[in-house]
Amino acid sequence: MKLTHDIPKSLLNVLNQLYELEQKIKRHGDSANLERNITRMKSAFEELSSESGLFYEDPMGQPFKETRTDVDATISGTSTENLFVVEVIKPIIRVGNRKYNQVVQKGIVVVESK
Amino acid sequence: MANMINYGIDLGTTNSLIAKFNKGVVEVLRNPNGFKDTLPSVVAFRNDRILLGDQARTYAERDPLSVGSRFKRKMGTTESLPIKSLGQLKTPTELSALVLQELKTFVQTGEVLESVVITIPACFDMPQRIATEEAAHKAGFKQVVLLNEPIAASLAYANKEKNIDLNNSQWIVYDLGGGTFDVALVRIVEGELKVVDHEGDNFLGGSDFDALIVEKLITPQLEKRGKFTDLLAEMKSANGKYNRLWHTLLHLAEDAKIELSNRSSAEIDLGLRNVEDENGKAITDAIQITRSEFEGLIKDSVDRTAEMLRTILTRNSLRPQDLKFVLMVGGQTYTPFVRERIKELLGIPVNFGSIDPTNAIAVGAAYFAATKEVGASEKTVAKSNTATALKIRVACKAASQEKDELFAAKVEGDTAGMFYRIKREDGGFDTGLKKLEARISEDLPLQADSYNIFSFSVFDAKNNLVPTGVDSIQIAQGKYGVAGQMLPHDICLVTDDLSTGDTKLRTLYARNTLTGLKKTSVEASRTILKGSDDVIRIMVVEGAANAHASANTPIGILEITGKQLTRDVHKGTSIDLTFDMSESQILKVGAHLDATGQDFADVFTPNYRNVSIKTLQAEIQALDKRIESEIDDAEANKNAEVVGELIALRSVVEELQGQSMLLVIDDTTDARYQLDGQKRKVAQQVHALTAGKHMDRLKSEYQELKREVIQVVSEHGNDKERHQLNEVFALEHTFTTSSNPQKITEYISRLRRISFQVLRRTPEFLTGWFEHLQTKRSTFNDPVQAKSLIEAGKRHIAEQDYDHLAEVNMRLNDLLPHSEQTDPKTLPFITGIN
Repeated sequence: MKLTHDIPKSLLNVLNQLYELEQKIKRHGDSANLERNITRMKSAFEELSSESGLFYEDPMGQPFKETRTDVDATISGTSTENLFVVEVIKPIIRVGNRKYNQVVQKGIVVVESK
Repeated sequence: MANMINYGIDLGTTNSLIAKFNKGVVEVLRNPNGFKDTLPSVVAFRNDRILLGDQARTYAERDPLSVGSRFKRKMGTTESLPIKSLGQLKTPTELSALVLQELKTFVQTGEVLESVVITIPACFDMPQRIATEEAAHKAGFKQVVLLNEPIAASLAYANKEKNIDLNNSQWIVYDLGGGTFDVALVRIVEGELKVVDHEGDNFLGGSDFDALIVEKLITPQLEKRGKFTDLLAEMKSANGKYNRLWHTLLHLAEDAKIELSNRSSAEIDLGLRNVEDENGKAITDAIQITRSEFEGLIKDSVDRTAEMLRTILTRNSLRPQDLKFVLMVGGQTYTPFVRERIKELLGIPVNFGSIDPTNAIAVGAAYFAATKEVGASEKTVAKSNTATALKIRVACKAASQEKDELFAAKVEGDTAGMFYRIKREDGGFDTGLKKLEARISEDLPLQADSYNIFSFSVFDAKNNLVPTGVDSIQIAQGKYGVAGQMLPHDICLVTDDLSTGDTKLRTLYARNTLTGLKKTSVEASRTILKGSDDVIRIMVVEGAANAHASANTPIGILEITGKQLTRDVHKGTSIDLTFDMSESQILKVGAHLDATGQDFADVFTPNYRNVSIKTLQAEIQALDKRIESEIDDAEANKNAEVVGELIALRSVVEELQGQSMLLVIDDTTDARYQLDGQKRKVAQQVHALTAGKHMDRLKSEYQELKREVIQVVSEHGNDKERHQLNEVFALEHTFTTSSNPQKITEYISRLRRISFQVLRRTPEFLTGWFEHLQTKRSTFNDPVQAKSLIEAGKRHIAEQDYDHLAEVNMRLNDLLPHSEQTDPKTLPFITGIN
């Protein structure tokens, strides 16, 4: 399977919006039961082709150090050691399937020392 | 293509890129770690790791003392960046080398990159060019070709807009990048691209706009919201309490600036930034910046760029409508105000959008790389099935406007029974097997407006392929070639001026001419004894040829000391100098001493600029004083116009003085280089304003001297001296009408020499000099010899034998220490050549 980086930016934008929707529902509740629609849309992206799809990963709470290159981090606080993701501005987007994939959008995150 | 460089790098202040030419198409290589084309030019040193690009930028805010950024602006200076985690200093060259190494990793094809084209601003001076080349060598590149950024941008545009006929037209490349500004007048004549003229500022770019946002918009807001003492100085100083905040705010300002390209306002959110005032009060507000505030802030800088553009037009007697367009490149041209303001000020179309302003330079560099051969064209490869070797030297144009192009090759070695074959890769041309001879030539038909790639193969009698090292020929048809790299400044040799005891400049390469080989001859201005510590200095400087050497940037010095000499080099001995400047404008210098038959050579090593803040302050003060005295002079001469212009320059210098006084000694910003650059510009303007006055002074000095010398020569001169004098008079109109003060100075010194030559034979002069030398009795190097010479001198006077007295005088004079010698021919010894 050939994984390509050339994913149209508009597709990545839609996935970013989907992620924000999901986060808002988590924070403010889902009175209209939108989660089901979001799940379907996410599945549709994962099944873009028989071999390869797009999906995002939420790095919230994950550890961060300088060798990590799937996120662009801004460090909050004074310490630069023992860092964890405390805020996600954009999620990590990957192309492929869950077993074999490649990052196509780095996550934009804020990290802080615990 | 195996034989062409094909890779181009834009080594930028904030971001760098690499692009590859492949069969007619340029691809900007992706950053494998960033999913974008650019690599932030940032290096971090953390936990025995070196991090590049985005990873490094992460730590720029929180750990700024372990991160180097914006170092391109300091290339070619002596300033190094202290890296706390390493406990050592890193030079801008070393940091650039790391960025270049990282760019190499963008190449995922397994190719080993040893040759590359790297772009530099056209206004980069020699130390900056050399530093860039040195960085590339440190990064493992063996062959480096430097290309001016405006040419690279034009190549990208010319290759993209194939339907627009650019032939015999001219345009402006306006390149406002992260840290440098370049504006160049580019012309295509007969298919060749030429930078006709350029202006620029190495210290004007997007990062200055970021700094302005922090200084003028954010800092006052912080001071309103909390208690800070001298916040700006505390942020800018390396040891300042708020130095880290400075780095943080610069990044936030950059983001806000990008946002303002599309929106009318942007926010600097301090919520996550831990900003505390002196009382520990946290400032967490969001500071709003409007587009109009930002535009007001950068207006002066943008107008300054327009001014430089106008200077080029005036210098080349052009009107804005003579230009085809203004080609905008550099990330900063995304700012709508920049495009609108230039369009408004000049009233000509601004070209934006057909090429990507952020990668145009890298793309153009790759197109250029496609026309540059790897290494030398001569390759020797062992034949596969015999012990002999074939040496093939090929000659063929890399770019052509013709329908076909001649391919010629010279073959050395045993070619018996061998054949060659040339095929065009699209399948449209095949020479068939042809007998390989010592000289071969073929007309290669070219496909219009495309990159023509031919394979060149040699076969033995059994039709086995014989490797030759020349396996492909690439010719771009209809593409625009690059005529050559014009020099940004005059390159001059510094020589002693025997008439004034100062130095003068001799132009080696004039501004806006091409590089190449130059030969010149000089004379030793004094005797250099074998084994002594005396030195001959071949000093080369870059800058205006009619300015003083000290106003120019030193490129390098080749020193030859008495200890290196195999024989004494006598005063007046000729020294042959050879200067060879490569296309990348790296200067090789060679000196041949006739007297000893010795050769000395050197490639000028980087002579890094070191702008110390104290020196800068002193120089600005000296410039202020000079302007003061020039104003007095102009007032005395009732030259109101010059007075007015000098007063305007004085206020600029006073402003510079104020700014330089505010600099802390360990200032980590680029301010010192900016101030130094502005100071040079003012000094050049003062020079231009007052050069006429100096010329008038020199002309009257010449006329006065002329009257004296005519009298001296008519009374005591011989035929030879009368002839020499007439030679000077015959050329009088050339130097009295010239605007170059050095020309007239040269003839004044010739007149002085003739006068001295005559006078030194007169009994009055010789007796007077002998008496003067006797008063120096106590300082002679060899008192015994001096004593006997003095006795001889007295005898010659008594006998009126003035020829022998002249000899005694010369020998006595040679016994004096240098500082005591009174021969007017022996003036302060600066370079040792004239």
